[in-house]
Amino acid sequence: MKITRKAATAAVASLSLLALAACSSGDSDTSDDDAGINQSTAVNVAWESGLTSVNTDEFNVGNATQNAIVTYLTNAQFNYYDPDLKLLKDESFGKYEKVSEDPLTIKYTISDDATWSDGTPVTATDSLLEWAATSGNLNTIEGTFDPESGEDQTDYTAGVFFNGVTPGAPFVTKTPEVSDDNKSITYVYDKPFGDWELEFQGPTVPAHVVAMHALGIDDPTEASDALVKAIQDNDVEKLKPIAEFWNHGFNFTKLPDDASLLVSDGPFIISEYVEGQYLTVVRNDKYKGDRTTGPDTFTFRYIDDPMGQVQALQNGEVDIIGPQATADVLSALQALDTVTVENADEGTYEHIDLQFTNGGPFDPNTYGGDAAKALAVRQAFLTALPRQAIIDNLIKPLNPKAEVRNSFTVIPGAPNYDEVVANNGSDAYPLAGDPDKAKSILAAAGVTGPINVRLVFNGDNTRRVNEFALITDAEAAIGITMVDASAPATDWVNKINTAPNDWDASMFGWQSTSTAVTASDPTFRTGGSQNKQGYSNATVDSLYDELSVAIDPDEQTRIITDIEKQLWADAFGTTIFQFPGIHAWSKKLSGPEPVSISPTIMYGFWDWKIEGSGATDEATS
Amino acid sequence: MISFLWRRLLAGLATLLVSTFVMYILASASMDPFGDLGQSTAANKEALIAQRIQLLDLDTPVVIRYFKWLGNFVQGDLGTAWVSDQPVSSVLHGAILSTIQLVTAATVIAIIFGVAVGIVSALRQYSSFDYLMIFVSFLLYSLPAFWVAVLLKQWGAIGFNDFLADPVISWVAITVVSILAGLLWSLAIGGERRQRALTFVVAFAATFSTFAFLQLTDWWTHPSINPPLLALLGTATAFAVTTLSTGLKNRRALAASLTTVVIGLVLYLPLQVFFKSVAESWLMMFVLALITVAVGVGVGYAWGGPDRGVSARTAAITAVLVAAMLFINQVMRVWPAYYNAPAINGRPVPTIGDRTPNLGGNFWVTTLDQFMHLLLPTLALVLIGFAAYTRYSRSSMLEVMSQDYIRTARSKGLPERTVIMRHGFRNSLIPLATVVPIDIITLLGGAIITERVFARPGMGTLFLFSLTHAEIEPVMAYLVIVAALAIIANIVADLVYAGLDPRIRVNA
Repeated sequence: MKITRKAATAAVASLSLLALAACSSGDSDTSDDDAGINQSTAVNVAWESGLTSVNTDEFNVGNATQNAIVTYLTNAQFNYYDPDLKLLKDESFGKYEKVSEDPLTIKYTISDDATWSDGTPVTATDSLLEWAATSGNLNTIEGTFDPESGEDQTDYTAGVFFNGVTPGAPFVTKTPEVSDDNKSITYVYDKPFGDWELEFQGPTVPAHVVAMHALGIDDPTEASDALVKAIQDNDVEKLKPIAEFWNHGFNFTKLPDDASLLVSDGPFIISEYVEGQYLTVVRNDKYKGDRTTGPDTFTFRYIDDPMGQVQALQNGEVDIIGPQATADVLSALQALDTVTVENADEGTYEHIDLQFTNGGPFDPNTYGGDAAKALAVRQAFLTALPRQAIIDNLIKPLNPKAEVRNSFTVIPGAPNYDEVVANNGSDAYPLAGDPDKAKSILAAAGVTGPINVRLVFNGDNTRRVNEFALITDAEAAIGITMVDASAPATDWVNKINTAPNDWDASMFGWQSTSTAVTASDPTFRTGGSQNKQGYSNATVDSLYDELSVAIDPDEQTRIITDIEKQLWADAFGTTIFQFPGIHAWSKKLSGPEPVSISPTIMYGFWDWKIEGSGATDEATS
Repeated sequence: MISFLWRRLLAGLATLLVSTFVMYILASASMDPFGDLGQSTAANKEALIAQRIQLLDLDTPVVIRYFKWLGNFVQGDLGTAWVSDQPVSSVLHGAILSTIQLVTAATVIAIIFGVAVGIVSALRQYSSFDYLMIFVSFLLYSLPAFWVAVLLKQWGAIGFNDFLADPVISWVAITVVSILAGLLWSLAIGGERRQRALTFVVAFAATFSTFAFLQLTDWWTHPSINPPLLALLGTATAFAVTTLSTGLKNRRALAASLTTVVIGLVLYLPLQVFFKSVAESWLMMFVLALITVAVGVGVGYAWGGPDRGVSARTAAITAVLVAAMLFINQVMRVWPAYYNAPAINGRPVPTIGDRTPNLGGNFWVTTLDQFMHLLLPTLALVLIGFAAYTRYSRSSMLEVMSQDYIRTARSKGLPERTVIMRHGFRNSLIPLATVVPIDIITLLGGAIITERVFARPGMGTLFLFSLTHAEIEPVMAYLVIVAALAIIANIVADLVYAGLDPRIRVNA
């Protein structure tokens, strides 16, 4: 033992000598060169998951927010939303005008300067491909469904199939006309379409790159010409590979070897992408549009964990975050004095729908076809709902500005929200719920006997479980018994869609991705694809027919208000709150002004300013 | 032997097959492929759902889907991560590398520290040091990984970065830390009261002067191992290695070790010039490490003597450690530039990722950046793994030290160092050899949480992402790899045990 101890003591002792000797030595020999380090400053943006595709028009992989926030920087479009959800035009990329209302004819003209980053001009050929892809009119694959089970038996690989069909583009069945200078394209709609401005917003991918890959042609001009010819002649054999490449070619999760996939026409171009880590965009020097101000480099850093985003913000690794809102995240952020925190609404809203045709408490058949009685039960149920209490208890802690949403179709904050809410009859349902009024409605209709309401919701979602508890208490006060019909996270969607007899009311979120007025059509129309309640109102149906061809915004607002009047009067269901969002950014960064729908935090990047480095220079003196 | 291997392999394959089946059923039951479509208001939602069903073949019963998957899997087709439309094999590639990088460093460090503390703890059984270590290791053992990781980020990254902005430690704090260090060392080294007091004073002085040195020379902002420091650390290393390897009485071994330190000192400046003039790479570092070993062995033989092999071994170990110091010094030299880089902006300890975006820089900057990103996740894994190794090695050492052959060794007059190092320590490692392979697999599992919290793109992150996004094929690939490794680890453990312990025979 002795030797071990002596040796250990000696080792410790020699460590102590270290100080004496080394104190005298200077630190003059540390290197002062910059070791090749990049000296420019980037803005770092935290996002949950990594880019999967740059073709945001494609539905399966491309159409997702993690892609949209990147292409917002790399892809120029004809129009974009501002924080008030007004659709503004970016005329530095191109102009569009309504040439005629009947038939609805829109002419898009791409700016002469607009160029892809590989030097090829952006032309009507790119728009023509956009039409081919989003209209679906060249798709040769028709959906084949089993007549008995409704099973989808379509073989999506057999023919031409562009997986990007949008609501309005299919109405442009005639191949659009391209001007001689190949900079203008004119779309003629078969019937008026109210949301035409949200169609053909600008090509997402360069046609010449698609054509070069799909048709194996090396020359961009030649390839583009071949693509135009294939579309105009509807050449199925050529369109098949084109559609295939359009669907899959732009999907990547790390920097592709093939640089042509990154070709962009926006102010930025992807320069680096490390799988699961980060993606960097730098200035596109071929870009001639207006958005040339703001930071010169953006980096998206991928952090799945909301608290991880908060800590990364605190540690200065990212400059702006938009994590999933939880009370923990909010309180952690509020404790930081170096960040700006903004509470906001998100695009998704919580709502309750009532089931009309399952023989339950809201179905007239239960009362021997007495529609008035069923209506009274629905009205009473909705009148008693403690919507304000749900907001106060569950949403205000996450967004102190939260308010009850009172419109089925318009996002709060949209230009016409206030007008619609003032006139849609939603004031019949007090925000806080009114048990006395609800009881009197029931009494007046002569409804007797116990009423059980089975509410289906995602039982794995704590917030909804809490909402259910609040609702149960409030409804008990008027004699309605709530029954928990919730299903696990993997199953509730299926239950709502396929088992209407197992629930009387459903509570979940609808997501708005645009201000399109026709988006609510399938939800409220008789037999609509999202109308799982069996709701049917001939007036609503005809109003939607009217809306789908209404082009004037004021006219649209009037029709929407009329539709909502019907919905509220029929006690279709109710809307509760907008999902709360939290955005936070470092005080070093100025200018962010998040929008409630995509691209959320990235809006207005051209107005951002970031303080340069060097704030801690004294530490290295 | 061969038949034993075959039996184990076949049993392993059967286990693998059954486990993949169970996992496939469980994973597919837990997944919701329509999660993103449930709230969608897209006009063509039904078509989207129909398409998704077709894409994922959801109309086929899950058992049949399993066999389809199995068929593809054995043909080498791992499938597609459908959310990103990428082949699983390409997604796995990067993830495996990242995880191995993390787990390797963590395992090695945890084993070295865990075993060292465990052995010392066993030698001082029922002393205060032993009790202290039992307390600490059980404490660490019971810490949840996600909690440790978040705390490490808060204090180890955010807190330490704040400290680095103005690196001044109060003298009171330094004194307190030094007293604690003194106490710990005196407990660990033990002995008579006088010996303990001496150790305490020495350790206190060492710690205090180290911190004083760091503070007074502004070491935090300009870290380096300069020649005087290298001389000191090198000499200390030479003495420590010689003590453990041969004992200080072997003067030739000591001299050989010290010679390698001198060689390291002489090469200090030439190496810097050398590194400036070449393009460095890890391959080159590996070659240099081999040369270092060769030099150490050469020096040992040059000193000659009857047991030149022992000298060579000692000198080689010392040489590698000194070379490591030179390497660290080279990395430290880019610290000021790194610290001031706009991408770092004075926050060098990161909380997320495995590299800093837009950093640029040469080999040393990249290496430093990788080290900085490995720092906290590795520490989190080490803290938890360390505890287990301490427990294993302590109990194993205790058992070995009570064996008859230890008493024999002592009674024939061997020095205590030889008894402990050669007869005790070596034999105590045998049970560890069976624990380590299995433990590495467990670490892969533990790394799931650590990787998620630190946002490292490894296997764990891949698994979690795929599971929550209903991508069954990457999930299965992950599970097959982990299950296969677990089975292989068990077989390897059996073989290693048989190889190390002559009492065990594998063909029994």
